[in-house]
Amino acid sequence: MTQLDDLTRHLLIGVLVIATFAVLPVFITQRYLLGEVIVFFIWAMVAMNWNLLMGHAGVFSLAQMLFFAVGAYGMAMGVTFTSMSVWVAIPVAAVSSAILALIIGVACLRLTGAYVALLTYAIAEMIHVLIITDTECFTLVRNNCQQLFGGSTGFSRFDDFGFRPVLKKHWVLGNYYTVLAAFGLTIFGVIVIIHGRLGLAFRAIRDNVGYASSRGIDRKKYQVVAFALSALLTGLAGGVYAAHYRFAGPSLFEFSTLMFILAMVVVGGLGSTWGPLIGTGIMMIVVEFSKEMGDARNLVLGLALIIFVVVMPKGLVHLASNAWRKVSHDRQETKADS
Amino acid sequence: MSNHSKNSQTRRGFLKGAGVTAGSAAMLSGLNQSAQAQSSDPVVIGCPAPLTGIVAADGIEFQRGLEMARDEINEMGGILGRPIEVVTVDTESKGDDVVIQAAQRLIDKDNASAIITGYNLETGTALHDVVADAGVIAMHSNTVAVHDELVKSDPDRFWGTIQYDPPETMYGEGFLKFIKDLEDNGEFKRPNNKIAIVTGPGTYSINIANAMNDGAAAFGYEVSLFETVKVPVTDWGPTLAKLRADPPAIIAITHFYTQDQAQFMNQFMTDPTDSLVYLQYGASLAAFRDIAGDNSVGSIYATVIGALQDEIGTGFADAYKGRFGDNASPNGGGQTYQALHAYALAAALAGGAGAPYEEDQNRVVADRLKSLIYRGPMGTMRIRPDTLSAYSYPTETNDPSLGMPHIFSQVHDKAKDGVLIAPSPYERSNFQLPPWMKS
Repeated sequence: MTQLDDLTRHLLIGVLVIATFAVLPVFITQRYLLGEVIVFFIWAMVAMNWNLLMGHAGVFSLAQMLFFAVGAYGMAMGVTFTSMSVWVAIPVAAVSSAILALIIGVACLRLTGAYVALLTYAIAEMIHVLIITDTECFTLVRNNCQQLFGGSTGFSRFDDFGFRPVLKKHWVLGNYYTVLAAFGLTIFGVIVIIHGRLGLAFRAIRDNVGYASSRGIDRKKYQVVAFALSALLTGLAGGVYAAHYRFAGPSLFEFSTLMFILAMVVVGGLGSTWGPLIGTGIMMIVVEFSKEMGDARNLVLGLALIIFVVVMPKGLVHLASNAWRKVSHDRQETKADS
Repeated sequence: MSNHSKNSQTRRGFLKGAGVTAGSAAMLSGLNQSAQAQSSDPVVIGCPAPLTGIVAADGIEFQRGLEMARDEINEMGGILGRPIEVVTVDTESKGDDVVIQAAQRLIDKDNASAIITGYNLETGTALHDVVADAGVIAMHSNTVAVHDELVKSDPDRFWGTIQYDPPETMYGEGFLKFIKDLEDNGEFKRPNNKIAIVTGPGTYSINIANAMNDGAAAFGYEVSLFETVKVPVTDWGPTLAKLRADPPAIIAITHFYTQDQAQFMNQFMTDPTDSLVYLQYGASLAAFRDIAGDNSVGSIYATVIGALQDEIGTGFADAYKGRFGDNASPNGGGQTYQALHAYALAAALAGGAGAPYEEDQNRVVADRLKSLIYRGPMGTMRIRPDTLSAYSYPTETNDPSLGMPHIFSQVHDKAKDGVLIAPSPYERSNFQLPPWMKS
């Protein structure tokens, strides 16, 4: 039997994951639960892309939610102000996010490490403040002032995917499969990058920038590419988020949301392939159960994060792969003994 | 003694003791006694409220208001024998996305027959589609005109979303009329014709500020300053410098965060101008007086939904503070308290609450709710048929029994709630010239 190469193996796992989610609505019909799975797809997309940038390319950026917000705002503004179709607005917003990332990347990636984190967070916060202090009426929507960038309330009630009139009470299924398609695109995109030549270059820079440079890998160029690719797919997630909720607002910029996504990446396993996806699932389950606990919710969330970081600093995926290696090793030893 | 007479005594005792919404409570109690118990399954009321984040102080009061109403209604036999259960989900003072998720959870997971809340920091239209898709009723006090516009655009779809207070546009015109009344009565003499308007970045604050700006000239005022502040704002220095350079007769702050307004008063009082200070809503909460202390005395605030200081309102406020402590704010809790009482009565009149996705029965409940003239601690709740928002008194009706009063209060004592000074017949004291103003 031939051994599958890394890329093919991960692509097959990806097909399996997407196929599983594709049949899930047969078993789950409740709109709330399907909505939660949609949210899972979206956050997993953001987490996987952040992992690509931070875990593989070694760029400690805090601008991930900015790229997400650009996707969401871009989609909302395109539909609200230009009557653009949702299906056009989402890719346009994703490309806008990538262009912004290129600009920010060129400016920030002259620096390294914590300085990149500080600068990217400062840029995200600056844009956040510019948006919430925008009070000038750009146009009137239902007799209400609508600022160019939505002001402190944001955009709402713009066109969504358009499944309500077609699928009637089952409209959420239309949204589900649309977001699943974007999720699938992200999974395959990220796998191809991570397990291709690009991913190899990213990890070479991350692990030993001096050695990588001596082999002709331009750190800045490759990290800017990682920045733009990560932002493109994160912007796509932002676009589908806005179309699903018919909302894009400044709460997307909140620090707590940023930390929540970071926790997903850390819990799952930074620098792995499937860790962010697993981490997203775990964190969303913890959040779901902690909703029942009222005021103790944040405490439970914090405790869960501390436990994961202390007990499994490299994430769940690392723990699982160690366990698998140990089992395989024991088996081989048993075989050798017999 | 039979169970029936025991229950009757308890209910009578409760009604006598509470003195709150007594007529309506008697009606609900009567309906419950004459009805066959439908089932013992609770009627779940879902409350998506901001229990954490920047407006958590209000969110906690919304939850308390529901709890208090729940206990009172259950003591009267619930809704046709079915007890009420309140389930709350925290919306974290965030936007539409979180409110939509919370409401969907309450409907699908907790089987909420109705969504009742105060306001959330959303665009004002987050609940509408969720409840329309699920065929249930939502009652909110977002206080936004965008609700009215949305309901008018598709009344058949949004039949069940009721804004149980008037929209924010009432504030601008109502405030200018209030000032005119003070002047006509000789209680206030403007030192000049200038008004300074300071708003926050939210649509709610901007709409109020714009309404004041648009209406000022008709009342003989010239807008000397129209400024937007970034929130939360703790340093009012730049704004105060402009106010001191060109002192207006009136300073109207339409940005509504309590702590920001308290800081404004603290910094304003270091060198006050000869100006009347009006603060939008936030000053109605006890936290405002806690932070501003003596500097709070003399400031004026308004709300289109606040606890009255009459027999019903005071009875409620005393019971509310007795249960939740002196720092509890009846102005916040009274909103959901009144809404749940009105819903329970409407559901009983309709023959029972509908479950989620039982649109036909929930439509009957909504029809009863819309035709109800409900008098509670916040005044009269009567719903406009075209916008499904409450009528405002005196801006939309000159009959105080047919509209929710747009009440103006003034802080006279830092240790006590502000005193209601308008509109008639609800006022409990006269306007007093603020201590920093020249007579």
